[in-house]
Amino acid sequence: MARSAGPVGVLPRAGVSDGHGHHHARPPSAVELRAQALEALLAERGLVSTDAIDAVVELYENDVGPQNGARVVARAWVDEAYRTRLLEDANAAIAELGFVGAEGDNMVVVANTPAVHNMVVCTLCSCYPWPVLGLPPTWYKSPPYRARAVSEPRAVLREFGVELDDEVEIRIWDSSAEVRYLVLPMRPPDTEGWSEERLAGIVTRDCMIGTGLPRALEPAGHGR
Amino acid sequence: MGAETSDLATVDRALGEQAQLPRDNGELVFEEPWQGRALGMGVVAIARSGASWSDFRRHLASAIATRGVAEGESAATAYYAAWLDALEALLAEQGLV
Repeated sequence: MARSAGPVGVLPRAGVSDGHGHHHARPPSAVELRAQALEALLAERGLVSTDAIDAVVELYENDVGPQNGARVVARAWVDEAYRTRLLEDANAAIAELGFVGAEGDNMVVVANTPAVHNMVVCTLCSCYPWPVLGLPPTWYKSPPYRARAVSEPRAVLREFGVELDDEVEIRIWDSSAEVRYLVLPMRPPDTEGWSEERLAGIVTRDCMIGTGLPRALEPAGHGR
Repeated sequence: MGAETSDLATVDRALGEQAQLPRDNGELVFEEPWQGRALGMGVVAIARSGASWSDFRRHLASAIATRGVAEGESAATAYYAAWLDALEALLAEQGLV
């Protein structure tokens, strides 16, 4: 490192030349030091503060929620043409609303009807349509849900407070890294004339996994 | 425009498919704390400087392409190292650094 560069110090472009034969001592690595130096510089210029950075990091680590999915569902409820596009090509329809998926993710939206109730699980691990639903809830990742959603879906639904008539067929969709499913619930009665935003407000995460149903009224007391 | 920091969905949109944040099944991947701080300082500095996300994305895409991934380096380390390059380039362009 013969040359110094700029006020920030320089990241030696590590590891470009030698691929083997040396092993690394414990950090702070060069890049970590560089991040610290840049932060110090930006703080000096008034462009960042420790508190502001902390706040962003904390927010981002917890921020993702099901709002995006709720907006997709609400749009499909009020716009028949959008609904058709959503069921035909979910990736494109979701992208229309500005939500970007992970590369290679393929989303499929399955619609509930009076005769069919859809429910999503990932039997293998916890594949989940995070660009629209945020982070998966703990129960979604739990072995009992992953097994029982397949073996006794009706009982699982009952535990979530969802009672379906016996005639309603339950379809289970097994998400994978390649295909991630999202349930399009039925629009509840008594919501005529509601704005899209108000509709989005009753579309919960569980509705879109298929372990809940949207309700026009405040749900009476089952926990999340 | 103002000093209001962007929320994560906005950042995801701004970065697009080419330069998206490292994630694992939706969760942001920070292998070491500096990576989270790099992200945070970018978001705060972009808001406060009034720089645009599309300019940042241009710098980031070019930094990712230029830098590549060094042997033995994780994807997240490479990404956030490029992120620092891009942030520096962006602020230099604005005459702030």
